[in-house]
Amino acid sequence: MTENIKVYALSTCPYCKRTKRFLDEHNVHYDHVEVDTLDDAKQDEILEEIERLTGRQSFPVVIIGPEVIVGHDEEKLRRALGI
Amino acid sequence: MTDTSLERVYCPVCQARFRFAPGWKEGDSVICPICGQRLALRKTPDGWTGDRAKAFSEDEIRERSDEFARIRGYVFNDMKEEILEGLIGKQKRFGDFYCPCRMMHVPEFQCPCKPTRGGDVDRNGKCYCGFYWTKA
Repeated sequence: MTENIKVYALSTCPYCKRTKRFLDEHNVHYDHVEVDTLDDAKQDEILEEIERLTGRQSFPVVIIGPEVIVGHDEEKLRRALGI
Repeated sequence: MTDTSLERVYCPVCQARFRFAPGWKEGDSVICPICGQRLALRKTPDGWTGDRAKAFSEDEIRERSDEFARIRGYVFNDMKEEILEGLIGKQKRFGDFYCPCRMMHVPEFQCPCKPTRGGDVDRNGKCYCGFYWTKA
């Protein structure tokens, strides 16, 4: 996998954990940010970015190339990753 | 003689007041009919209030969510334990049992959150986090 994959998550969100577990199980490398553990300024910056990308503040958000996937959705992840 | 039918008990979890039932007395253990929290009744100069039983413990949130589901006739699914783990994480990191699927740590998102207490589950079949569900 050569694409840059990013996961925005909350440290307490069970669906975020499932998404990360799914990616790990498929040996997909990704950067991940736990938005709720950031300091306020960084948090605002990331939340603005998430709202710009998705129109809301819902987690997890997975960015795979041009694809933006909101929520834990294994079918969409498989399609975007080609697995 | 005080007319107890007009008295209310303040619940510190959902921040609402519910009716004081005849026969209740100081120290009694009661369940808040709005959020399911177990409370010990205490008389204050401003009226009745409830003290959270087993406050901030895992037992507290387990009993509260079970009681809330029982009162409303909701059910859980196989996400129950993972969501409870998230709620316990919120309490440890942010001080109370706020919805684990939301960013905001404010009283209205204390589980069960205000939209859930207000009927979101009946409207949508589930709460925002997918913790409480209507029966299939």
